[in-house]
Amino acid sequence: MGSILNPLYFAVSWVIVTFHSLLGYIFGENESESIKWSLSIIGLVILIRIILIPLFVKQIKSQRALTALQPHMKEIQKKHKDDRQKQSEEMMKLYKEHKTNPLASCFPILAQAPIFFALFTVLNGIARNTPHGVLKGDLLLSAQEAKFFGANLSSTFLSSDTNTQTKLVIVALIIFMSATTFTTQRQLMVKGMPKMDSSNNMMLQQQKIMLYVFPVIFAVSGVNFPVGVLIYWSTTNLWTFGQQFYVIKRNPTPGSPAYEELMKKRTVKDKDNGALPTTNEDGTTQTDPGVEQSKPQQRQQPSKGSKKKKKK
Amino acid sequence: MRKAFAIIIEFYQKWISPAFGPRCKYYPSCSTYATNAVSEYGAKGLTMAAWRLVRCNPWSHGGVDYVLSKSSKQPIKTGAN
Repeated sequence: MGSILNPLYFAVSWVIVTFHSLLGYIFGENESESIKWSLSIIGLVILIRIILIPLFVKQIKSQRALTALQPHMKEIQKKHKDDRQKQSEEMMKLYKEHKTNPLASCFPILAQAPIFFALFTVLNGIARNTPHGVLKGDLLLSAQEAKFFGANLSSTFLSSDTNTQTKLVIVALIIFMSATTFTTQRQLMVKGMPKMDSSNNMMLQQQKIMLYVFPVIFAVSGVNFPVGVLIYWSTTNLWTFGQQFYVIKRNPTPGSPAYEELMKKRTVKDKDNGALPTTNEDGTTQTDPGVEQSKPQQRQQPSKGSKKKKKK
Repeated sequence: MRKAFAIIIEFYQKWISPAFGPRCKYYPSCSTYATNAVSEYGAKGLTMAAWRLVRCNPWSHGGVDYVLSKSSKQPIKTGAN
């Protein structure tokens, strides 16, 4: 198992060490080792999330392309009102036909899991004096001394030599992680998702889960994870929140409350400019320049598909 | 073994998946597909489920994809909603 993950340990330790030495130019060679190591972990998160941005943009674009499909979707919902299975089937067929799929797949989450695990191992290596990748020798010794608000980056809540200060920092981080996850999910549910009639039960279930299950998950895993991993986790949660906040404000999913708000704002703006928006029968306004933009993008997609076919 | 797998998936569907919202590009979702594949094909079903998870990626267009029954080759529609 270890040997398969060696390249990952190398990559993760290399990124951290590189950030550490880059930060050396800012903070000075021998100064504030703690800040440098903590920021290096945050740098790792930022790097990974930047790499994942194109995937996110792609998803947002296909969500926008849905506006054009809305009449079809309404038709399907009407036609198979009492048969949810048939309804979902037809919906998926429609997405496939138009080569657009608004759903994100599990990839963005699964892709981060090995990195998370590698970071866990690398940081544990610091605590156990085991070098991983390029984090060895003097660097390892320096990282062992590194602290985040007085808590050693490599110590966990449950290890015997952990002091009260460290425990307090860990508890604060666990609370922070729970809070960010909760706000992110709540914002998505209240503003970011299209209104569905049959999903009230699911929504309630979700809210319950977020309130009780996530803090428990964070608490149970949080006491076993090194402080550095918790910093990683907190930063990535904060990034998710910010990213979603931006999208809901600027690029909301068609049909969601946030989308309606944005449309209202735009309608008011257009009226101020003297141009009247055209409203369709189903209530969608066609003043959104993004709808027009998305059309040529949709046309390009079949050519992508034909390239794939040629490869085969 | 198959029962244990089904229980794990059921736990995931009930407690973990709702927190992330609907995100599967396929119908039925990968988790339902996995339950059906393992109950029908055993260990081979595990590979099928893993392959489905790989196919469900940002570059895929998704679609309708049922596990086929061993004997009749008909799609298994249990568990999907």
